[in-house]
Amino acid sequence: MDIRELKKQSDLSYDIAVAKRNALEKAHTRLVVVYNEHLFRADPETINLIKTLSEVHTSPFYVLDSNENPVEISNPKEFLQILVQRNQEAISSYHQMSKTFEKRND
Amino acid sequence: MTKGVLLFCFDTADTKYHSILERCVTLVKKNLKLPITVVTNFKTFKRMKPMGFINYKFIEPEPGNTKLGKEWNNVDRHMAYELSPYEVTLVMDIDYFPFTDNLKQFMDTKYDFLISKSAYDLTDRKSFDYKRFSMIDMVWATVFVFRKTSRAKRLFDMIKYVKSFYPYFIEMYRIRDKKFRNDYAFAIALEQANGMVSYDTLPITLPTLPPDCKVLKIDQQGIAWQYDDQIDYTRDQDVHVLNKEVADV
Repeated sequence: MDIRELKKQSDLSYDIAVAKRNALEKAHTRLVVVYNEHLFRADPETINLIKTLSEVHTSPFYVLDSNENPVEISNPKEFLQILVQRNQEAISSYHQMSKTFEKRND
Repeated sequence: MTKGVLLFCFDTADTKYHSILERCVTLVKKNLKLPITVVTNFKTFKRMKPMGFINYKFIEPEPGNTKLGKEWNNVDRHMAYELSPYEVTLVMDIDYFPFTDNLKQFMDTKYDFLISKSAYDLTDRKSFDYKRFSMIDMVWATVFVFRKTSRAKRLFDMIKYVKSFYPYFIEMYRIRDKKFRNDYAFAIALEQANGMVSYDTLPITLPTLPPDCKVLKIDQQGIAWQYDDQIDYTRDQDVHVLNKEVADV
């Protein structure tokens, strides 16, 4: 491989890395969800917490929002559904984007 | 409860801010679907093309600030509380293009005031990861949400106070940038009004294009830009554009 080809590949890798980071940031922003007038992240930690509490604790129960304020969760099933839906919306969009990165790398 | 978007727009000798506003309004209508109030002056208003139903509030901008040697009318943001006709208001810079509905949900929280503390560079050069010289975190007054409550009113009163004694406050907090910046005025006021302890923030990082990026194209879905010999684009993601030549794209 000559140096021009290496430079081309390096530029392509840079482009893909930037696009990937932007797509990931986009997904992170999309993970933010408002529930009961509070802010949460629909991330694995929140989903696992709500799922676990709903299984081992009677509702209502209490969790912290993204600003560490306590929130009463009286309908965990509804909240969990919202969290999972938002999580998958954000991550599936990121997944679709990552497919285009693979194509650019071929 | 009334909700809406408040935008400030004043043309200068160098920049046709009304052109930027027109793009922003189109995206707010498409993606946020909220009523809009534009704070402007008659000179700028006369240059705007018809944008459908929009409320206008006319003020004369306070002069005096510059950015990169050019006139910069940015010091009226402290009047947002009085100028907004809404109970819940989203204030945005007009060069923040909402290609998504992400901001809309923040109008439905119980918080009196929400603002973001971080921005990230879409070119991945980490231009906005400022080394922290000052004693307080900076906030980005590019986007913020407030409700008309007594606590929010106190905060805006505090912002006015900070603005009045800005040279004193930036010395006290060891802020190196001596020009008036809403970001610092808001950060100082939040610190003061909250008793020098932490405050609630928007858990988002504002996607931002640095001033040295030339915007090549904007459409309804996204934006393409050039930096050096790199051309890139993003779609379905809000973007704060710092290069004011975007007015001519």
